[in-house]
Amino acid sequence: MELKNKIPFHFSIIFTIACIILVITFWISIVYGSADINTSTILNAVFNYDPEDVNHNIIIDVRIPRDIGALLVGVALAVSGAGIQSVTRNSLADPSLIGLNSGAALMLALTYAVSPVITFPLLILTGFIGAMLGGTMVLMIGRSRKDGFNPVRLILAGAAVSALLSAASQAIALYFRLNQSLIFWSSGGVSGTTWQQLYTGIPVVAIIVVIFILISGQLSILNLGESIAKGLGQNVKLIRAGTMLLSMLLAGISVAIVGQIAFVGLMVPHISRFLVGTDYKKVIPLTAVLGGCLVVSADTVARLMGEAPVSAIISFIGVPYFLYLIKKGGRTI
Amino acid sequence: MNRLTGRNLTIAYGNKIIIENLDIGIPDKKITSIIGPNGCGKSTLLKALCRLLPIKKGKIALDGTDINKSASKEIAKKIAILPQSPEVADGLTVGELVSYGRYPYQKGFGRLVPEDVEVIDWALQVTGITEFKHRIINDLSGGQKQRVWIAMALAQKTDIIFLDEPTTFLDIAHQLEILELIKELNQKQQTTIVMVLHDINQAIRFSDYMITMKDGEVITQGNIPEVLSSQLLAEVFQIDAELMQDKLTGKPMIANYQLVNRKYSKVEIK
Amino acid sequence: MIDSKLKRKQIIVCSVLLVLLFLAVTWSITSGEYKMDLSAYLKTLIGQGEFKDNLILMEFRMPRMLITLLAGMALSMSGAIIQSITKNPLAESGILGINAGGGFAITVFIVIGQVNPNTFIYVLPLISAAGGILTALLIFLFSYNKGKGISPANMVLIGVGLSAALSGGSITMMRKFNEDQAEFIAAWMAGNIWGDEWSFVLAFLPWILIIIPFLFFKSSSLNIINTNDQTAKSLGMNLDKERLILLIISVILSSVAVAVVGSIGFIGLMGPHIAKSFVGPRHQLFMPIALLTGAFLLVIADTIGQTVLSIGTIPAGIVVAIIGAPYFLYLMYKTNSI
Repeated sequence: MELKNKIPFHFSIIFTIACIILVITFWISIVYGSADINTSTILNAVFNYDPEDVNHNIIIDVRIPRDIGALLVGVALAVSGAGIQSVTRNSLADPSLIGLNSGAALMLALTYAVSPVITFPLLILTGFIGAMLGGTMVLMIGRSRKDGFNPVRLILAGAAVSALLSAASQAIALYFRLNQSLIFWSSGGVSGTTWQQLYTGIPVVAIIVVIFILISGQLSILNLGESIAKGLGQNVKLIRAGTMLLSMLLAGISVAIVGQIAFVGLMVPHISRFLVGTDYKKVIPLTAVLGGCLVVSADTVARLMGEAPVSAIISFIGVPYFLYLIKKGGRTI
Repeated sequence: MNRLTGRNLTIAYGNKIIIENLDIGIPDKKITSIIGPNGCGKSTLLKALCRLLPIKKGKIALDGTDINKSASKEIAKKIAILPQSPEVADGLTVGELVSYGRYPYQKGFGRLVPEDVEVIDWALQVTGITEFKHRIINDLSGGQKQRVWIAMALAQKTDIIFLDEPTTFLDIAHQLEILELIKELNQKQQTTIVMVLHDINQAIRFSDYMITMKDGEVITQGNIPEVLSSQLLAEVFQIDAELMQDKLTGKPMIANYQLVNRKYSKVEIK
Repeated sequence: MIDSKLKRKQIIVCSVLLVLLFLAVTWSITSGEYKMDLSAYLKTLIGQGEFKDNLILMEFRMPRMLITLLAGMALSMSGAIIQSITKNPLAESGILGINAGGGFAITVFIVIGQVNPNTFIYVLPLISAAGGILTALLIFLFSYNKGKGISPANMVLIGVGLSAALSGGSITMMRKFNEDQAEFIAAWMAGNIWGDEWSFVLAFLPWILIIIPFLFFKSSSLNIINTNDQTAKSLGMNLDKERLILLIISVILSSVAVAVVGSIGFIGLMGPHIAKSFVGPRHQLFMPIALLTGAFLLVIADTIGQTVLSIGTIPAGIVVAIIGAPYFLYLMYKTNSI
């Protein structure tokens, strides 16, 4: 039997359109910037790289890594959000709102305090540990005994844990005089992305997204509710813990690259579900592509506004969206 | 005589109309019960009659004046309300909550004058909870809590008390206790009582006047012996019931009831 | 109907708190870069001190101390009122984004306004209050459901969301600032108590003197709002109007405080909660204790921040968050009603 209700558009069409949009935004992002560069220069830079040409250097060393960084962060945050939302069955969950980002930022502050020179893979690892710290605190406290992950509790616990962890990072920054780098983390920006970071970041994010796609069937079942999933024979605990860990790893990577960005993980999975329904086999790939679109275009806007923080640009879209979700009452998936 | 009357009432939640063009009168110094199936609008009507719910059209008059145009505190000196399963902040004591019943009579800082203290002590005594005065409300049992709320309503010193399903969540003994208390108030203080009840037999046993509702309309209103009949129960509740005489109270009671259309039993189970 | 035992308890707790507060103030004033010893402090206090001690105490430490005390009281009181009207024991101006609203308004003011150093101090509370009130009204508007009234749960969710947007907005605008302005806003957001002149006390005190007695005057209304909506209405209260007035008043109180001491959260959570644990939820009883507890906590937090590092200081707001957030989480863990 085929279930066709509530899936307004055909998946392959939507997915293709999303990919086309991603390519276009990516292209626009490389072309527009403080130094105007035309299309042929870009192609030349990529295929006939001339180390003497300033424009070529800008493209290869600054613009392209920055855009790939934005893309990577968008994918990571959006997929992480989808994972968290399916585990908590709560459409208001987001890596930043449940304390992953502030946890990662705290651990990074600590790491920088101990040793200012640190390799990127190690940075990812500490970010991941921090995300685990923040996320575990929020999930433990936000989980009420009666009704599982109540959205209000989760958001409140997230706000308090974030306040605590950010205060701790600020205190560490003041103590070790790290102020400059900390402002960078709390405001979020991809301008400093290097190829070095991408060489580690790309494979890790890619592998995790593939794992997510592989277990997406399990996520759809989990989404039916704990008792039904158990009744169908799923190892709920394993799936939940695994999904949570992968989501935390994704959040840790994105904080290590750009600092804290909120609402990507909230909005994108929601939009994807609206477009293709609740089947995670479709939701995860679409979420990854749309997440990339969102952050790449937000970064372009930020750059055109004279290097405004990406996080602020995104929260200007994200917060009204969040308010709309609350007003609509769509709290549980 | 009816001090409290409603004319031409239309009541809605948002845009959804629950009750349309309804006329109603509450007899003085009597106990009136509003009964009907779930979702018939009985709670809605009760709330509208005591101005908890605004009305779309029509007029509810108490002693000739529109209650939705009078000062709310003045109404609170004439009508007290016991909401359905109310909650209070943790740590509040019985005496404190009952003293809130004096709010309509107070100004500013809310100091209690000797008269207030007298009324509060009286309310505690009538409901038999004087000894709980300093206990925390949330530590009490359901029946005791309900008495505290009734005491608060009494402290308002009103002629009319509204109760929205006062016996829900209580066991049978406490249900009877609360209803007996209400009956006593009516007889000794001449208080007009209006309540929504779920149990038809309790409504018959403890009230004088009955309003039956279905789909937002009043089917009958009148003294119980005049309006109660098997046909009414069939029409309103879709039950086929026998009316017998309760040996204890001499009042009618319903017994041997079953569904009028027993559609569910016709399902074949393979 | 207040139990006379509770009344006695209130008096005892208040006296103990007054002593603790005096000790905290003494600790705070006698520590710092210029060490003033205890006897010099006490002598100066009764007007027998040396000129230098007198100058330091009266010109520098005293005004800052008064501001800290008043801000602690204001934040605690504001939290108490917001908790009662939202019936949410975890609500408070920081969590609800009202402080962020004040901060946003101050940032906008610095961006567009011609800042006049003479009137700045007096205008700042007004700007912050305007920002706070606008934020509160937005929260009120979004959480109002026709027919159902205010949903306290939505109020909190919307507050958290707005708080993120407003802080984001402030950070974006900071990019346009020169270094001094950016530093000021950054310190403000961290909750650095920066007002340290008598003029700040003058700008702050009138608000406190008007609003706090007014709230005591409203205590019986607050008691009734704290029961449940239907009871409040049936006792003759115009609930929506009363709630809106009290919300605006409490927002003004916290916004004026954060204008002078920077964005400090959690005092409004801890103060009232500690007070209620002694004497219960009746406002006449717990509000005086909440005032003193709020002042005590902020003085302690500020002093820890001033003394814990050998060089430099940690803003009071950060110390308060490090103490307050775990307290909040503990409260949440215990509360099942939210």
